[in-house]
Amino acid sequence: MANPLRLYLTCIRNTLEAAMCLQNFPCQEVERHNKPEVELKTSPELLLNPVTICKNEAEKCLIETSINSLRISLKVKQSDELENILTKKFLRFLSMRAEAFQVLRRKPVQGYDISFLITNYHCEDMQKQKLIDFIVQFMEDIDKEISDLKLSMNTRGRLVATEFLKQFI
Amino acid sequence: MACFEHASPALKEILLRLYRDERAIDADHHLHEFGSVEYYIQSLVSDPDHTYLSISTPILSQAFLISTRLSRYTIEKVKAISTEVVEIVEPPKEGYQLTLRLNFARLPYGKESIKMITDIASVQGVILSSQLEEMLMNVNSQDVAQGMYKPIKLVYHPREPFYVIKQPQKIMAVFPMRFKEKTDVIIATAFFQFPQQELMDVANTKACAKAPHCIWSPIPPPELRGEAIEDLSTNGGFVSFALEKKMDSKNRLNMSNDLKWAFKNRRGLHVNSEDTYISVLLPSLNIGIGVGPTFTFFIMAFTDITSRHIEGKRLDKTVWNLLNFYAFVKNHVKSTRGFIQRRMRTCLKSLVEVLQKTGLQDDQQIKEVKGYKRMKKMRYKETITATDQFVELKQVDSDAQRLVIAISRPHWGKGAIRQWTAFARDGPHSPWPATGSRPIMGASSAIAMAGIQFS
Repeated sequence: MANPLRLYLTCIRNTLEAAMCLQNFPCQEVERHNKPEVELKTSPELLLNPVTICKNEAEKCLIETSINSLRISLKVKQSDELENILTKKFLRFLSMRAEAFQVLRRKPVQGYDISFLITNYHCEDMQKQKLIDFIVQFMEDIDKEISDLKLSMNTRGRLVATEFLKQFI
Repeated sequence: MACFEHASPALKEILLRLYRDERAIDADHHLHEFGSVEYYIQSLVSDPDHTYLSISTPILSQAFLISTRLSRYTIEKVKAISTEVVEIVEPPKEGYQLTLRLNFARLPYGKESIKMITDIASVQGVILSSQLEEMLMNVNSQDVAQGMYKPIKLVYHPREPFYVIKQPQKIMAVFPMRFKEKTDVIIATAFFQFPQQELMDVANTKACAKAPHCIWSPIPPPELRGEAIEDLSTNGGFVSFALEKKMDSKNRLNMSNDLKWAFKNRRGLHVNSEDTYISVLLPSLNIGIGVGPTFTFFIMAFTDITSRHIEGKRLDKTVWNLLNFYAFVKNHVKSTRGFIQRRMRTCLKSLVEVLQKTGLQDDQQIKEVKGYKRMKKMRYKETITATDQFVELKQVDSDAQRLVIAISRPHWGKGAIRQWTAFARDGPHSPWPATGSRPIMGASSAIAMAGIQFS
């Protein structure tokens, strides 16, 4: 892993470890309801300050924490049009299959490409450390996959173009 | 629109079926391909030796061909498929440009017949190719001689026109690229940019040394100046193929007028006031040395001309490749989208696997809970074994509501058993129910000692 990326991911990992201390907390507005406070934002006393971790202008991560839920939003780098379209396609593909991930939000927070919502129930069902590992690995994999995809597309294009031009000879 | 194979698969199948059919049958087949190509195949019982094939295909360029009839060159090409089997009917059937009378009786036997039918099925490709071939071959037309290089618009599909520009040094084919979706535009643009950027390196290799120069531009090339604006509005830019020609003494007249004059008059020194350059021509060595407008030197080499890409068999290849270019690009875009989708699915699987591992501890807990009932049953068995000495208990059947127990005692005799059924609803202190048999003294205490609780 490249050094700047490692630092970026370590920072996110540490922040998540600190933020992921969630507990069951019933809704203060509606009786017998239990809702993620980070989504409702009805009680400011239940919210912590959001943290933004930026690698650069194009790559950043927003971590919003509340007493019973945590929201992680990611912005993935898109250096050119091809990367932009690949990222959009890929993240849309994942968002449409959010039920497979449990913690993935169907719609990303505005200004970000993909968002996760972790509640206290997720923390009870899953191991906290492994959940953080998953988020970090997800970020690594997305970057890697998009780079690989772009490279593969260029390789395919090169082969196809060469084959086409060879037909003239 | 052309497809990668010359022969139309549907037409080939129909012709093969008619050829293999031993009995003569009345058959009328109407086939439509690519929205603009139409075939009509007719077979009659009254004329069992012949099958009629009529074709309607768009004329490649209305400007080039005066009438809607096919040119003599095209007719010759169609005849060349097979002089024995294929016969052109004059006049063609109404609404079609060409009608062929096929005599299957004259087809050779074995694999040759299939090859011949495949050739007949590629008649539309022959018509389309021959039209473009004719244009490319007539390089020294009047337009070129007069220095007018007007682009010829070729429409083999209403949405996919392209242009051929004939110049003395080269023939250019320009494709305005249009796509429906933005994703397609980006994939195609990435593909077009490859030949432009990297083919310079590849072109030096043997593989692509003789390939035509390919240029992609987001704006129309200057050669298309003056064309209708709707034809030049694209979202995928313009792809140009320059089919180069080498110059020879025969074609020196196609060079710029001043050089033409110099060669004609065998003048060693030539000054051109319009373009501001001076050139010294050495006709014996077939070279020219000149000074350009910014005092740059240039050397011109005049070698023998042969059209590299438009001669003999290469002409067929070139024409077919140009006609297939749209289909080729669209196929590439489609397969690339499929490739992206496959990669995304694989990645989704691997990510879900990672997430599933996070709940591993939880899964173990669930397994333990599931195993609890089994352990309860095990306990019964152990207890029953422990009480073997004075009473034999046998759990016959049990579920959540009912427990059936068979008890045998030594003094009852071998094989004598009494059976009790206890119901959960009776509760732990309820008397034994009288279902099955009546209670026996001592049995209840034995059951109590066995540690079985009914609840």
